[in-house]
Amino acid sequence: MTTLELRNVNKHFGGLHVSRNISMGIEQGELTAIIGPNGAGKTTLFNQITGYIAPDNGNIFFDGLDITGKDPEILVKMGIVRAFQVASLFIDETVYDNLYLAALAYHGKNGNFFTNRRVYKDVAEHCHFILEKLGLSGKEKLKAFELSHGDQKVLDIAIALTMKPKLLLLDEPTAGMSPDERVKMTHMIRNIHEEFKLTTVFVEHDMDMVFGIADIIRVLVHGELIAEGNAEEIQKNPAVIDAYLGHEVL
Amino acid sequence: MKTKLTEMAPWLAYFVIFVSMIFAGSDHSIHVASQIIILGLFAIAFNVLFGTTGLLSFGQAIFYGLGAYITGMMAKSFGADFFLWALLIAPVAALALSAVLGVLSLRLSEVYFTMLTLAFAQLAWGICVKWSSFTGGDDGIQAIPKPDILNMGGRNYYIFALVIVSICIYLLWRLDRSPFGSVLKGIRQNPIRISFIGLNVFRHKLFAYMISSSFTAIAGGLYAGIDKSIHPDMLVWTMSGSIILMTILGGMRSFFGPLIGVAVFILLEDVIGRSTEYWSFVIGIIMITVVLLFPKGIVGVSRHFAGLFAKKGGQFDNP
Ligand SMILES: Nc1ncnc2c1ncn2[C@@H]1O[C@H](COP(=O)(O)OP(=O)(O)OP(=O)(O)O)[C@@H](O)[C@H]1O
Ligand SMILES: [Mg+2]
Repeated sequence: MTTLELRNVNKHFGGLHVSRNISMGIEQGELTAIIGPNGAGKTTLFNQITGYIAPDNGNIFFDGLDITGKDPEILVKMGIVRAFQVASLFIDETVYDNLYLAALAYHGKNGNFFTNRRVYKDVAEHCHFILEKLGLSGKEKLKAFELSHGDQKVLDIAIALTMKPKLLLLDEPTAGMSPDERVKMTHMIRNIHEEFKLTTVFVEHDMDMVFGIADIIRVLVHGELIAEGNAEEIQKNPAVIDAYLGHEVL
Repeated sequence: MKTKLTEMAPWLAYFVIFVSMIFAGSDHSIHVASQIIILGLFAIAFNVLFGTTGLLSFGQAIFYGLGAYITGMMAKSFGADFFLWALLIAPVAALALSAVLGVLSLRLSEVYFTMLTLAFAQLAWGICVKWSSFTGGDDGIQAIPKPDILNMGGRNYYIFALVIVSICIYLLWRLDRSPFGSVLKGIRQNPIRISFIGLNVFRHKLFAYMISSSFTAIAGGLYAGIDKSIHPDMLVWTMSGSIILMTILGGMRSFFGPLIGVAVFILLEDVIGRSTEYWSFVIGIIMITVVLLFPKGIVGVSRHFAGLFAKKGGQFDNP
């Protein structure tokens, strides 16, 4: 079954054509990597899928429903959740409270203005589950701004997972990480994907990671989808080598 | 959930100070204390927007004035008994007005929101001054009647106001610790993330604005009973401005900070204002000092010094 389908999606920023007639179908349970040079329009594509900006034209379908132009909060409720290229956190709050707020939202408690927010056992359990899954246990009392860059990215993904996504989009999950952290993150993404059978799309510049774990790789150059296929196919694709990978990879 | 001592301590201090005023205060100090609690409620309600949600309204005086004029005009026209009814009607009217103004202004970017709230309040002030047949114009409304039991000296009215203010502050305190309060703090820190955890930023801001405004109207209504008179100055932009100043002075990141700011401001005004005409000069210096040296306000200063004594790891969980 196709979870996410893009049909002829176009986006311009002034004279810049950042999404050129992009069509693709992402199957349920697929782990997809989107790669491409800086400025290729990868984040912009995520922004359109998650409702942050609307395409100029074209359509986006999720589980067969046309979701083009819907707002992020509606898409999140439908199960489309993202993590950001630059971690997007509640910076003055603790790690735990970052997740707690997301879990409050997930459990629909956000409108309650009289109850002490700490009373919800199910919300607390939810947070502890996520903390443990992402290896943040022990850091829950740290404020988000006190975290290392790598842990901030992990927390950003943790917030996303708290929303129990059906489709998870990760924008450069290992950006700015040390080699150790990269390896950990790679394992984590694969584990999450396998454990929850989660349809996952990630943008990444780290080719070891991309070729190591992605089922399908899609290559975006100058806003155009120039190739899709498995690791082997992409590594051999002359257009991809020319435009992005370069010859030294081979 | 057990409530932590650090959460209860400010409440304890609040009741010790303001209840003891009932017994210990002279007429003058009761008058001052009445002003402190009523403006304190205004400032705490304002801070739901400012310190909590990160929305700087420069026009909350419009709701303060609305509450005062509804109360003053109803009591004046229909008799003393309507004074109490007016205190109920005022917040409802403020809910309605803030819903309209909120829809018009809250989608705009921060600066425009601030300017538009200022513009609305100035417009209302202009109406109050010019439409003198209805509002009493520049003179405002005098000799506002209120029920006899509230009339015997300032003390009875102070007790009455203290009960209402305490209930209101309690409700706002609950809100501050509630899930809704957490969402508002989230909006201040990262509105984009709020929409990406599935919440509508505008709707939560609008509710915050409406709640804040209705409590502000209650404060305005209560003010109408202190001196039995109200005047258009309650709506003018300097009124909104001084609430902002007092909130910053006390500490906008703390729930009770705004009340402390109001108390310090009014006490200074009372003491210094009696001995020197350079009152505004002195308060100006104090404001500059606080903002430059202690950007977290008086509460921030005391936390800072408490932190020097406490062992590292002593947590101050937003009392
Ligand atoms: N809101 C915007 N307004 C105008 N131009 C934009 C906007 N967002 C992105 N762009 C431009 O669109 C192009 C694509 O940007 P995008 O962030 O999608 O690239 P990317 O593939 O994610 O790059 P990177 O690998 O550096 O993250 C860039 O040239 C960028 O400057
Ligand atoms: Mg990008």
